[in-house]
Amino acid sequence: MAQFKTVRYALVAVFLLTAAGCAPSTAKKPDTATAGSSTSAESKGKGGAGEGQGGGTRESQTSPGSLDALQQGKSTATPASSPLKDVYFEFDRYDLKPDARDTLKANAGWLKGNPSARIEVEGHCDERGTNEYNLALGAKRAQAAKDFLVTLGIPAERVSTISYGEEIPVCKQAAEDCWRQNRRARFVIITTRPAS
Amino acid sequence: MRLKLFFAALALMVCPWAASAQISGDSEGPGVRGEIVGQGGQRFPIAVSPLKNLGTSADSAKLSEGMADAIVHDLELSGWFKVLDRAAYLEHPQKTGITLGSFDFKDWSTIGAEGVVKGGFSVQGDEVAVELRLFDVYQNKERVGKRYVGRVKDYRRIAHKFADEIINQFTGVPGIFNTRIAYVSTSGGRFKEIHVAHLDGSEKFQVTNNRTINISPSWSPDGRSVLYASFKERPQSLYLFELYSGKETKWSARNGRYLGGKFSPDGQYIAATLEVGGNSDVHLLDRSGNIIRRLTNEPGIEVSPSWSPDGRQLVFVSDRSGSPQLYVLDVASGKTRRLTYGGSYNTAPDWSPKGDRIAYTGRVAGRFVIFTISAEGGEPRKLTAESADSEDPSWSPDGRFLVFSSNRAGRYHLYVMQATGDNQRRLTGSGGDDTKPHWSPRLD
Repeated sequence: MAQFKTVRYALVAVFLLTAAGCAPSTAKKPDTATAGSSTSAESKGKGGAGEGQGGGTRESQTSPGSLDALQQGKSTATPASSPLKDVYFEFDRYDLKPDARDTLKANAGWLKGNPSARIEVEGHCDERGTNEYNLALGAKRAQAAKDFLVTLGIPAERVSTISYGEEIPVCKQAAEDCWRQNRRARFVIITTRPAS
Repeated sequence: MRLKLFFAALALMVCPWAASAQISGDSEGPGVRGEIVGQGGQRFPIAVSPLKNLGTSADSAKLSEGMADAIVHDLELSGWFKVLDRAAYLEHPQKTGITLGSFDFKDWSTIGAEGVVKGGFSVQGDEVAVELRLFDVYQNKERVGKRYVGRVKDYRRIAHKFADEIINQFTGVPGIFNTRIAYVSTSGGRFKEIHVAHLDGSEKFQVTNNRTINISPSWSPDGRSVLYASFKERPQSLYLFELYSGKETKWSARNGRYLGGKFSPDGQYIAATLEVGGNSDVHLLDRSGNIIRRLTNEPGIEVSPSWSPDGRQLVFVSDRSGSPQLYVLDVASGKTRRLTYGGSYNTAPDWSPKGDRIAYTGRVAGRFVIFTISAEGGEPRKLTAESADSEDPSWSPDGRFLVFSSNRAGRYHLYVMQATGDNQRRLTGSGGDDTKPHWSPRLD
């Protein structure tokens, strides 16, 4: 038992060091977390300085990725105001259905109109099945969505991917209505600023 | 006796918690062996007496009944024993002896016990010396006796060790109760953290506390470390956490994300699932986390490797046929054969330490159930019912039990069953979901 005490103390020490080293907990994901929060603050600043073009349309277009939202206790659903809509998949499938292609064409249109925007495609699954398999399946879904955007002319370097498998569902009831919403590719706007 | 005490002292130095020395008994196993029967058979009626306080310290019910409770827990979990209710015991454990001739077998035969476990302990400082014996009530004989020395706080481990010895007496193979389970738990919150605990829930320890998603925990073959994959930093990497030092090592891949990994039985290699550009494949890593080579090379999904006990083959999941199925790969030659054909969703394989069977999760009528199949293929055997979902089986180190997760009581909890599917018993009951169990090897 003394060994376990030692382990606990060691752990506490490690966590304290980590906390001291990188102030906010979201700093672990520099791409989305810091970029996401700083741009939204900046776009508000821009609006205040009167430099905004088109006023509100530029504001709050970035949103946290699913893991950041989970950590912040926020909804992991794509906000209705998001210009990029989710696309949905059948159980254990990662091929794009016609309605998914239509959604992706609309998403590509927005990306073409906002050429400095960079996005991350998140692949998600419903809760059924094995976690590791679902992570691989979510990666396939995210990649399928990205590949289609690229064929529509969006440069690949503007689109990153990640899979959350079944780990961050948007709907939590055990029913097909819910599962359907979870089998999705989600599009998170990381930044709308031009790359420096 | 002097020699045995010497070995006890030696063992104490090597092993941090408890040393044991055989004080009597034959290792062959007694005549009662035949009483243990399998599926649908009778359970062996046994009594487990609270232990006698042999020392001068004030009697502590925690030790006296706590060790008996731990043995009772283990014997019931095995499914091979009917443990008689303590309230029916006739003799007073503090007023009778614990050796042959110092108590009356009639006190036990009268209540229907065919075996009885008795023992005593004495506390000195923070150490406890424990003697435990198994008696055959029919033949009025002692079957086995053991002496243990350890820290008072580890008294349940001592009890688990003797439970393993009781199983050894009856079956010729030691039990698996001095082991731990690594698993993922939400503990009622929204994050998924890695935990380890004994089968009886004692010595629960939280390995991760990073408020993200941690997945796929698995043990190193020495039982001292847990390997897992985590979203705590980008990209998802493998982390090897040493339980006794608290030291953690991170293994990242330059271009990809790790989804999980399993140590080879000799501890020299890791078979890991790595996703690169949306495509996941099984890779072979050395024990420092360097990629030696890619083991599968398919455009589809290849995940969840599990080693054969000789380390020569891997069973894994592939969707190359259009649905996830199990395949067996010969590591040296790279030859692959398909193992499962029934159903359209077979995942999460775990190869038995005995080598003969592979347990996995399959989908039947929209529900997930646990199957085993011969490592050579053939007809699968269904172990759990379709009335709920049961997933992610992991074998005990003796290949006679499986731990798995099921939502039959609402949330996902961990359960243990015999390899036949008999005696399914719940282990955990946290407010959250407990999933992805992996059974440790036998511990010191």
